[in-house]
Amino acid sequence: MTVAASRRRRGRTAAVPYAFLTPAIVLFVVFCIVPIGYSVYMSLRKAQVKGLGLRPGDRTEVFAGTRNYANALKDPELIHSVLRVLGYGLIVVPMMLGLALLFALLLDGTRARLVRSARIAIFLPYAIPTVIASLMWGFLYLPSVSPIVDLLGGADLFAPSTVLYSIANVAVWGGTGFNMMVIYTSLRAIPSDLYEAARIDGASELRIAFRIKIPLIVPSLVMTAVFAIISTLQVVSEPMALKPLSNSIISTWSPLMKVYTDAFERGDLYSAAATSVLLAVATLVLSFGFLRLVGDRAFASEGGS
Amino acid sequence: MTTTLTRERPHVRAAGRPRVRRRGGGAVPTTILLLGAFYMLLPVLWVVVASTKNLGELFDSSAFTPSGHLFENLSRLSSYRDGVYWHWVANSALYAGGGALLSAAVSGISGYALAKFRFAGKTALFNVLLCGVLMPQIMLAIPQYLLLSKLGLADTYASVLLPQIISPYGIYLARIYAGAAIPDSVLEAARMDGAREFQIVRRVVLPMMAPGLVTVFLFQFVAIWNNFLLPFIMLGDDTKFPVTVGLFTMMKQGANQPAQYTLITTGVLLAILPMIALFLTLQRYWRVDLGSGAVKG
Amino acid sequence: MRVKFAVAGVLALSLLATACGSSGDDESPETTPKAQGKVELSFWSWAPNIEKIVAKWNASHPDVHVTFSQQANGDDLATKILTASKAGNAPDVFQAEYQVLPTYISNNAVADIAKEAGDLKSRFADGVWSQVTLGGDAVYAIPQDSGPMMYYYRADLFEKYGLKVPTTWDEFAQQAEILHKKDPKKYLTNFSAADAGWFTGLAQQAGASWWSPSGDTWKVAVNDEATRKVAGFWSGLVQKDLIDKQPSYTPKWNKALADGTLLSWPSAVWGPGVLAANAPKTAGKWKIAPLPQWAAGENKTGSWGGSATAVSAGSKNKAAAAAFAAWLNTDSEATTDLVKESAVYPAATSAQTGPALQSAPEFFSNQPDFYTVAGQIAGTAQGFTFGPNVNVTYSAYKDAFAKAIASGGAFDGALDQMQTSTVDDMKKNGFKVS
Repeated sequence: MTVAASRRRRGRTAAVPYAFLTPAIVLFVVFCIVPIGYSVYMSLRKAQVKGLGLRPGDRTEVFAGTRNYANALKDPELIHSVLRVLGYGLIVVPMMLGLALLFALLLDGTRARLVRSARIAIFLPYAIPTVIASLMWGFLYLPSVSPIVDLLGGADLFAPSTVLYSIANVAVWGGTGFNMMVIYTSLRAIPSDLYEAARIDGASELRIAFRIKIPLIVPSLVMTAVFAIISTLQVVSEPMALKPLSNSIISTWSPLMKVYTDAFERGDLYSAAATSVLLAVATLVLSFGFLRLVGDRAFASEGGS
Repeated sequence: MTTTLTRERPHVRAAGRPRVRRRGGGAVPTTILLLGAFYMLLPVLWVVVASTKNLGELFDSSAFTPSGHLFENLSRLSSYRDGVYWHWVANSALYAGGGALLSAAVSGISGYALAKFRFAGKTALFNVLLCGVLMPQIMLAIPQYLLLSKLGLADTYASVLLPQIISPYGIYLARIYAGAAIPDSVLEAARMDGAREFQIVRRVVLPMMAPGLVTVFLFQFVAIWNNFLLPFIMLGDDTKFPVTVGLFTMMKQGANQPAQYTLITTGVLLAILPMIALFLTLQRYWRVDLGSGAVKG
Repeated sequence: MRVKFAVAGVLALSLLATACGSSGDDESPETTPKAQGKVELSFWSWAPNIEKIVAKWNASHPDVHVTFSQQANGDDLATKILTASKAGNAPDVFQAEYQVLPTYISNNAVADIAKEAGDLKSRFADGVWSQVTLGGDAVYAIPQDSGPMMYYYRADLFEKYGLKVPTTWDEFAQQAEILHKKDPKKYLTNFSAADAGWFTGLAQQAGASWWSPSGDTWKVAVNDEATRKVAGFWSGLVQKDLIDKQPSYTPKWNKALADGTLLSWPSAVWGPGVLAANAPKTAGKWKIAPLPQWAAGENKTGSWGGSATAVSAGSKNKAAAAAFAAWLNTDSEATTDLVKESAVYPAATSAQTGPALQSAPEFFSNQPDFYTVAGQIAGTAQGFTFGPNVNVTYSAYKDAFAKAIASGGAFDGALDQMQTSTVDDMKKNGFKVS
């Protein structure tokens, strides 16, 4: 190859990754960046009505400055919803990840005939849309129809003191399987020779799990935890679907439910946009650490051509 | 563990590894697993039972006492508004199948580019893409609707398909997979032979990444099949609804017309059957490796 | 975590969202070029079985084809319409509840069809017609049905427990107490924090006036004296646990109606459809009476629901759309079908005396004079002006009353919360409020 040809070749190669990434970049810009930009724009606008507002043209859109943000920040309902969801996250995340880890370790460490079926069964809720899952649990929470209520001594599962757990249960049920699959996959990636020796020495499965397996899958656990925390803070489906069944779930139960209520029930797209921008920024800040963690470590050993 | 070791064995890989397993499971682990499986299957079992009941039984009889009205419910569901339910199922299959296929293609080529090329702005680009996954969907869906309306695309099949092709998560998985499954030496050899980049993708990269792409396809298929918000916002014409939005509409009407509840439970059962089938037939592809890269280092 | 898999996966699942758009014009290639004569209209409604009536229109009007799209319910349709008209995607024709009309007008979502409506005014009672004109010259929709409130009770169970049909709210409270003492598991009715329209109707009966325009200023008094009286009354019953506190329209509520846990229901004239669907086995056991009154000898009621057919401001075929809306709600065959198929109480006066209302609904075979009684009650409905942000008021009702019930049942603060939310929202949007 001549020097010129090789240089030409390298020039072409330099453009290759960009060409390969073009579809993703275009789609990302059109369906993510532009909509976010539009949200930011909306968040700086407001409706302005003149007169009784009952004639066409009475309602116009004007620039609002940062007023929507100021209103959102001093709205007690938003703060309440954030606190409520933090409490909810304290129940859901440990429960969900704890169960996921437990199941994954058991599946990895046991050789029973039913392991395969159990894995499928535990993973199954992943395939069920939350709208539908909430409908199913809603029925199962019904007194006098459901054995679950009987089992719990006839407790009202929609009372103010219990509803948090009723919602959390739907989330734990729906999320455990996927997390289990993630953890299970990384457990299976551990070369068995790393703990066969310990096993031959007579170490218990419990000891192997805590001393060898769990430390090796810490990165996976961190990732699942971060994703679980983010999706828990963004919870909206479960409470929204259960809301019509209970007086104890209000329309601003979670921050994103508040966004939904503002946008659609109250018809105030501008406030909704401001709140969602605030929440997005908060999520980004929260995830910053995670990005460093993943971005720096996960691909450190990757080669390039 | 060493880098070489993992290099040779892609993490998101098919089938199990050979290893000595302990014979027989203890009673305690087995019991826990059974309890877990029972908990997960309970609501599904409820749906199966509920879809055999008529309206009176749905509210009056115990939740897990089956009855014999399944076929009656099926035929009522099939004739509901001239069989619109089957229309919804077909739509869901189109959205999920088409969307997941395109998504796997876009994710695959992007993941390959990110894993196997050095170029300016790579880290920044990847981080920005990943940020996309953190955006609450409601923040995106409303402006997406308003913008697509301006293009005259709202309430079309495209309005539901297009926004779901881009999957930061799919790209992330594809990158991990490409990094682990495609040795640099193979690419270099192909280039030495004078193959062009697109030929390399078709002849070398695609076959090596295929199992990973199946995984991306599956997860995106489930994500789209289960998606509710986007089609609900985009669509007004009920003949374009996917099954989630269709069932949701029926549920809302159910408050006024409880007779529909039996149709809904039957509809729910039918809607999760394809998912169960996917799980059972493609079991070995259901694996997600979020942290394998980190394990290497 | 499963949720996080893809952008789509995440929240996707279940935001009970809203907002959509279908434009009949964009969708129907045959409309534009070779349109000559053939007009395509899109129509959104949630009334059950209304597609059968649409099919009859299509059969008899070859020039104007209507494509129907079934919607979930009134609230969902309202949010969809508001978003769709912002985006320019609203359907040509849609069902609009009376209370949302001012909001639609304020958001420029409905067209003024005064010209197309012509002399239709004479086909409706004045009170009904003023709901679609807001007292002005414009006509924003054609009335479809109305929802005067009345009292439904289980005649058989009232007899069993020795209850008398209450004629005043005081008597109502007494019966609630008697019943609850005899059987603590039964309730006379439930107070639903989920149904703002229901509470509004009860407030109307007491003479509430929440919005009134004067000049270019709105007077807002959601917590006026009449409404306080209503809220205070129910608050007493809830605090003493004499009535049930569960929200209506849930599976649990369906069951309570069906199994006799709830013995009566202050509802509206469209109630038979709901009861028949909820509790088919109780057919022939219910009866109707006027709502209990605030003072003995009075004769007043409020309205819950009721809707009209509106033409969207963005429709390109307003004349054809208005013609369809007029036909749907005044044609004798169409209105007969509305009663039969969609179980509504038609707004057109001719339909109220028409053949469909000659005999009682099947569910009320024990009360042959059902529609005679209903007609008399309908005549006592109190007028009411809805403001331009009813959605905000209703949203505040649901949250504030749900919270109040969850924390014991004192409703005064909840009412003030409704007032504050309503006024704050109006001021924020630039309305003049006094």
